[in-house]
Amino acid sequence: MAPVTPSIRHFSLCLRCVRQLPTANGTPRRTLSTSAAAREEVQTQPSTPAPPVPPPSDDTTLTPSTTSQVIPDFMQKWGTLDPQTVENKKQERRLLRREHVQPVGSRRRRAVLRRSALQKATEVPFEQLPYQCFQEARKFLLEDRQEKIKDIETQQLRIRNLMDQDPAVSGGPAAKESRLRSMRKHFNELIILADINDPVVKRKFEDGQGDMNKPIYRYLADQKWRQYKRLVLEQRLTQMNVVPDLLPTLDIVADIDLGFGRKSVAPGDFVLSTISEKMPRLNVQIFTPGERLVTILVVDADVPDLESDSFTYRCHFVASNIPLSPTRTSIPLQRIAQEDAKSEDVSAKKIAIPWVSPWAHKGAPYHRLAILVFEQKDAQPLDITKVGKTKRENFNVRSFVDKHKLSAITATLFRTQWDESMAGVMERAGLKDQIAVELKRRRVEPLPHKRRTERMR
Amino acid sequence: MSLSSFRPVFRSFKPSTRILSAFQRTPQCLQQRTPAYTSPFSSTSRMQKRSKKGPGLDPRITSIRYHLSHPLTPRPLHFSRTRSLRHWTIHRAWLLFLRKRRAAEALELERQYMSMRAACEHLRLMDSNGNRVSEDEAGGQGPDAGTLGVKGREVGRLYRSAMIKRGIWGSVPVEYGRIQTDFPGREGWNHGWTRN
Repeated sequence: MAPVTPSIRHFSLCLRCVRQLPTANGTPRRTLSTSAAAREEVQTQPSTPAPPVPPPSDDTTLTPSTTSQVIPDFMQKWGTLDPQTVENKKQERRLLRREHVQPVGSRRRRAVLRRSALQKATEVPFEQLPYQCFQEARKFLLEDRQEKIKDIETQQLRIRNLMDQDPAVSGGPAAKESRLRSMRKHFNELIILADINDPVVKRKFEDGQGDMNKPIYRYLADQKWRQYKRLVLEQRLTQMNVVPDLLPTLDIVADIDLGFGRKSVAPGDFVLSTISEKMPRLNVQIFTPGERLVTILVVDADVPDLESDSFTYRCHFVASNIPLSPTRTSIPLQRIAQEDAKSEDVSAKKIAIPWVSPWAHKGAPYHRLAILVFEQKDAQPLDITKVGKTKRENFNVRSFVDKHKLSAITATLFRTQWDESMAGVMERAGLKDQIAVELKRRRVEPLPHKRRTERMR
Repeated sequence: MSLSSFRPVFRSFKPSTRILSAFQRTPQCLQQRTPAYTSPFSSTSRMQKRSKKGPGLDPRITSIRYHLSHPLTPRPLHFSRTRSLRHWTIHRAWLLFLRKRRAAEALELERQYMSMRAACEHLRLMDSNGNRVSEDEAGGQGPDAGTLGVKGREVGRLYRSAMIKRGIWGSVPVEYGRIQTDFPGREGWNHGWTRN
């Protein structure tokens, strides 16, 4: 960006705020989605009704003194260089040299922007683009939307009537409940259908500006997540046997992103021991409305048990009572730990069992570190001191789930194995005696030589 | 058959003398000395060559040219953001229109069927005086429309005559009137079937 020079983009933004947008043919100019402000989704053609680039003399006065000190005189003669509208090679080079900014987008796009700015092309909102077929289609979709809204109102009325009805009339409380459930389902479908054909909704969702408090954006995000990301996550969880090993079944209903610091980790990735020494950060996106409390559990599913020549589980981390909603997705465990350290009240704390960095013996097969997210029953907070009494070693996820009445909503995992920095990590974790331990495969004695029989020959 | 398999990989833009001259150090005079009367290889007939009009366009060549420059796959839609959104809007509206039309057709068919059914029911429960009788007095219940009720032949006469299926398919018996399928049903043949 050009330092503080009021660029053409800023001008256009201001103008767009102030401008009175006319209505076409007396129709309300924005009817497809009721709640959004009209200004926001007005589609502008790639044109900016801004004055042409000011002469260089203006520029020198406008440039703040801090930058003009650094910039030599010959560079100031180049005039204003806007990264949005720079269109030839020379200007691009100058922009890079003086402002240290890369030009935005393709050269063709920049040229179009500049031309239309020079010609003061008028801004036509997306709704009013003068294409006959498009306008007919919009009219049809708007009619359909009105019908859907009417349907929604009637369905609301029906649901209210049924709720007021005596259960004896509607065939028992169970029948009434099931009828109510199916009616509510239809109601939710209608709400989705009212907005699904709106191009503005589609654009906002694609730009990532969708409001997750609204059902349509939640629905679209859910659909997109199920297309690819959920499939990958489910495959990793089942192929690495998290699902039968730790939980009997798991229906993943929330999107989860795992990362350590800035680095994001794909589900099932190997993570260096130095990186996983600190707590991860989680991003859990749920697609159902309402606030709830979740419990987060990190379990090592491959702790070698040398006595019985098998593997056991170890609990690495438990945090409870973490609030989560469709708009509140981030779970920064580091920050939660810091807040916990500050707070005096024991019941307000969230981390029941603090983080222990994942470690693996030299020569041992990789360890799966599963991160499980559970929803607490009825959004009721758990007693942290009770949860904190859980033992780390020989941890059993199923009994933990049963004890605290949890239901899993999503899970992810990463893997750890012995690496160069593992010795240091283990030393810092207070496992100095374990560093020297090296696991080796037991030598399998070959079977005694068997003579070939007649038949085999 | 795809004509694109005939497309040459490399196209020589001119007779090969040009390329040769680039590599050979032959002086220009050498080429000029070649006799002018040696006609180059040509498939054009002499009469055609002599005529003033020049060669007419061969439709075969035209078609080959056309297919060489037009691949079978149509080019993909490259739209700008706004253009693709407009396209999407129109597409969604069209799909919605089709869906609504289908629903309306289904509803109309159902309405017609129900109306016919109501009419037949009315006939079945009507006696010779046009009065309505009760259900057990009327016949025509069950799969066979020809059964008589308690009141006998007087009730539902019109109904029975309407249910007669003889002759409506011409010489083909009505039992063959069902939709023909590629494979027989699960229980191949109904051995217990009799006309009456």
